[in-house]
Amino acid sequence: MAWSRKDILHIEDLDLQEIQLILNTAKPMKEILFRAVKKLPTCRGKSVYNLFFESSTRTRTSFETAAKILGADTTSLAVAQSSLNKGESLLDTVRTLQAMKPDVVVIRHASSGAAHFLAKELKASVINAGDGQHEHPSQCLLDLYTMQEHLGSLEGRKILIVGDILHSRVARSNVWALKKLGAEVVLVGPPTLLPPEIKAWGVKTSYNLEEELPGADIIMALRLQLERQQAGLLPSLREYSQLYGITAARVQMTGKETLIMHPGPVNRGVEIESSVVNSVQSVIEEQVTNGVAVRMAMIFLLMGGGTSHVVD
Amino acid sequence: MWWIKNAHIIDPQQNIPEKGDLLIGEGKVLALKQNFTEDEVRAITKDRPWQEIDGTGKYLFPGLIDVHTHLREPGREDKEEIATGSQAAVKGGFTTILAMPNTTPVLDQKALIEYVINQGKKVNLAKIYPIGAITKGQLGKELVEMAELAAAGAVAFSDDGKGVQSGEIMRLAMEYAKLTGCPIISHCEEETLAKQGVMHRGIVSARLGLKGIPSSSESVMVARDLLLAQENSGKLHLAHISAKESVELIRRAKENGVDVTAEVNPHHLLFTDEIIAQNLYDTSYKVNPPLRTEEDRQALIEGLLDGTLDMLATDHAPHTWEEKANTFGEAPFGISGLETALAAVWKNLVVPGIFSPEVMVRAWSTKPAQRFNLAGGTLKVGEVADVVLFDPEATQLITEEYLVSKGKNTPFLGQSLQGFAEKVWINGQLVWDRKVEGKC
Repeated sequence: MAWSRKDILHIEDLDLQEIQLILNTAKPMKEILFRAVKKLPTCRGKSVYNLFFESSTRTRTSFETAAKILGADTTSLAVAQSSLNKGESLLDTVRTLQAMKPDVVVIRHASSGAAHFLAKELKASVINAGDGQHEHPSQCLLDLYTMQEHLGSLEGRKILIVGDILHSRVARSNVWALKKLGAEVVLVGPPTLLPPEIKAWGVKTSYNLEEELPGADIIMALRLQLERQQAGLLPSLREYSQLYGITAARVQMTGKETLIMHPGPVNRGVEIESSVVNSVQSVIEEQVTNGVAVRMAMIFLLMGGGTSHVVD
Repeated sequence: MWWIKNAHIIDPQQNIPEKGDLLIGEGKVLALKQNFTEDEVRAITKDRPWQEIDGTGKYLFPGLIDVHTHLREPGREDKEEIATGSQAAVKGGFTTILAMPNTTPVLDQKALIEYVINQGKKVNLAKIYPIGAITKGQLGKELVEMAELAAAGAVAFSDDGKGVQSGEIMRLAMEYAKLTGCPIISHCEEETLAKQGVMHRGIVSARLGLKGIPSSSESVMVARDLLLAQENSGKLHLAHISAKESVELIRRAKENGVDVTAEVNPHHLLFTDEIIAQNLYDTSYKVNPPLRTEEDRQALIEGLLDGTLDMLATDHAPHTWEEKANTFGEAPFGISGLETALAAVWKNLVVPGIFSPEVMVRAWSTKPAQRFNLAGGTLKVGEVADVVLFDPEATQLITEEYLVSKGKNTPFLGQSLQGFAEKVWINGQLVWDRKVEGKC
């Protein structure tokens, strides 16, 4: 199967074969990360622009690393340096960049749908690196890669996603993908962060973490934005932590060798206990490594790759 | 003098034959009858020359009256001017439009009310009546000088664009407006509930990750204002009703005799929030109040049919292309409606038989004239001749070039609509002729 899309904007729209193609392509990419010389000629002469309108360290660095290993030239624009501060519109900024003929533009923006909006304007391929509260496809793909690496098929696996579901682009992308892969997803959080309309996503929702723990193969804790408490969605971080914090005692309640995941950055002691982050079951750092491999695969496929024989 | 022959005449105000002739002269409706002979016409017109128009296959109804438009002048002439808004109005079949006061500066003083009236007269197309603000600067704190503004020509008061958050200020506004006889038009929006939302809060917003505006942000204010109007016998008009809960509240209030009227916008009758998922993040569907669900849409249609909702209004909200060419979150709310609303309603609601032409004319001409005490709204003999000759078969592809309004922000761009005003008279003067495109 060959890759045929111009952009990667949202997981909801990708079919199972496309998801699997990216994940399969990421496998040889990961091997490269463990080589002494981490450089390929594959994308030499291609340019990748990282356009981050929202601050991000890990995602931007990960995309930049991925593009550089593939041999592409990278340019990173942070919002602080951008001409948006000089009154130029988002559209004009992007048109200006288009005129410099990039091959791939990676976009992170605080508005849901921003990547869709800009993809219509750009001739370059667009990768959505997180748009508002909508989707975060590369995070989802690295999560899937990590899950499959440990568990093989995800069919019938019980996966808990715990925390601020309402505001989470990671949760949305993962729900669509995990449904396609046949996993049993349970979304857990307080009612203010898990409103009734989320039931329409077609997965189980629950306010009670401890009831859902038995049999869980994976627990994914989401980052809790501390300003949610100030906005009145939570009475206190203390009560949140008491009800939904992932502790060692709770991990034991699964009765399994449960994988612990987190998209980062972690608020230790709020959504997850420090000892759990450091435990052997935690794959949080592996997720970061796999992120580079998955992003290499995404860039590679968009640049016209398409077979699984990507390396030498 | 005009003799329009054999048209399908619609005027819910009077019992008239289905097909008939209408004579216009001296700025008025001179006569209306099934068929005139030349001798009869000569007698009525006292031998002055007339022009004859064959109205076969066409409808003739009183000029439409739009009680909710944003003409943006003064202050945002890049979005719309009174001149371009007036041209758009007559082209769209509207002979009278009410201009909302959320301009820059806000229409909260006599001189500004007079300015809008004078600009309208200079253009001399659609009749333009300004709506004064309820509070100075639309800040929700101090009432405007309502008596003076009404004397200057304001026909209603509204802080449209935002809701009056203080219940006490709203109560006082309804009380004080009794000096003028003008209705208070309420933009029902409870800001802490609506805060930062960009589309209807529901299944679609949860999926698209867009912040939601719950139906309750509208309906709690509808409930408040209805209770206030009941308590103090105020005269209330509710702008752009979008939620089914609001319709039910208004229905009950009317049963209790509250002096309330309400309007609905065509886009809320035609679209639901699903369309934002189908046309991912298309900002031409971003409007406040937001497009809600199919249940809401059905409740609005039912409300208009049973009279709970009294009138149609466009909420014509022109914006520049640059403003709308942005992310869904950052683009402004609003749909430019004057030139497309009639055809969109005709094609999608009248042609399929959901509304009769009579229901449409009652909601878009008769009721607005009655509620806001305006000339027009009927074709009774002796009334001002604000008249539309309507071609139900005319089709038109909507393009940016077609629109004379500066606001090209309509979801109908690129679509073909059906049912357009062929000729429009205001005070007996022909101001729009579709056959001579652009004659204004």
